[in-house]
Amino acid sequence: MVQGVNTITGAAQALDLDAQLMLRVRDGDDDSFRLLLEKHRSPVIRFVYRMVQDQAISEELAQEVFLRVYRSRATYEPTARFTTWLFRIATHLALNWLRDGRNERGHQRLDDEGDGDMPVREVADRKPSVEQRMVYQTRLQEVRDAIALLPEKQRAAVLMHKYEEMEYVQIAQVLECSESAVKSLLFRAYETLRARLAHMASGAVR
Amino acid sequence: MNCPLQREETQDLLLDYSAGRLDAARAAMLEQHTENCAACSTFLADQAAVWSTLDVWEPMPASMDFNRRLWQRIDAAATAPWYRTLVDSLRFGGWKPVFPLAVAILVIAGGFLMDHPGGVPAVSPPTAQGVSFSEADQLEQTLDDIQLLRQLDSVAPSSDTTKPM
Repeated sequence: MVQGVNTITGAAQALDLDAQLMLRVRDGDDDSFRLLLEKHRSPVIRFVYRMVQDQAISEELAQEVFLRVYRSRATYEPTARFTTWLFRIATHLALNWLRDGRNERGHQRLDDEGDGDMPVREVADRKPSVEQRMVYQTRLQEVRDAIALLPEKQRAAVLMHKYEEMEYVQIAQVLECSESAVKSLLFRAYETLRARLAHMASGAVR
Repeated sequence: MNCPLQREETQDLLLDYSAGRLDAARAAMLEQHTENCAACSTFLADQAAVWSTLDVWEPMPASMDFNRRLWQRIDAAATAPWYRTLVDSLRFGGWKPVFPLAVAILVIAGGFLMDHPGGVPAVSPPTAQGVSFSEADQLEQTLDDIQLLRQLDSVAPSSDTTKPM
């Protein structure tokens, strides 16, 4: 019995800062929600964007994620890391959007219309030439297509692993599967990507 | 060190190494292994190449008014009627469970009706001029009886003549 109490206390002490902020949101502190929003807005939008590959839709879905977090504040219990809960909502919404087939509405990617996608670090020295921009856009499109062709769960796992630097155990909690299943998903996904992007890889290795 | 590629449980070592997330001790062991393992060496080279290729994809930053729009939605949701909230939650794929639910309700309702046929008014068999088959039989029987009585009446006077005076 005492051991059980100690375990609960230990778990409570191990609460991450985000979970503590969320508990304050539960108690009516909107400033804590603003902090959470500032901290996690970009990762959530980034992740959803890479899932659905549509800037406008990704922002709409990311807003829905935070809206659901705010709506659920009254019943929030820190049973897992806050980011696990956040990304589970984000993944759920993104997968539903993909499965609904709403992504087949002509693929009007707003970010495709502009030509300012090139990362700043590549243009630090001088303005990129037209050729450099074209090469960059081609490479970017191939990467996007290669990821878009992955099965949904593999895609989500790769995006969380590669871009959000999440651990296997957390990805497993988000995708509601075992850690070994996540490792298997990732191994197969990277295997596919290695095959699809092999022709680009030689130029990418430093 | 056993070859990580040979066992599924250890394949993540190679991914972790490529991602730079392997601790120094295990990284050193793996490096020592790859010096003598062509398969692992090739795997790591290919994985490192893909890893850096994926770096090319940097998403655009969020809109400047993202927070303002979110707070607008939060304020609107706070004052919205319950059905509006329901519709909003169904917009993003939440409607999908409705289909199995609807099918389940239909199946249950169908089973209930099959188990309780009395609940549905029974359709009576068609009858001629509003008379049921049983009534027609009864009428025919009555007519036969009347005819039999008449025959008996017609036979009765002749039998009286045989009586002794």
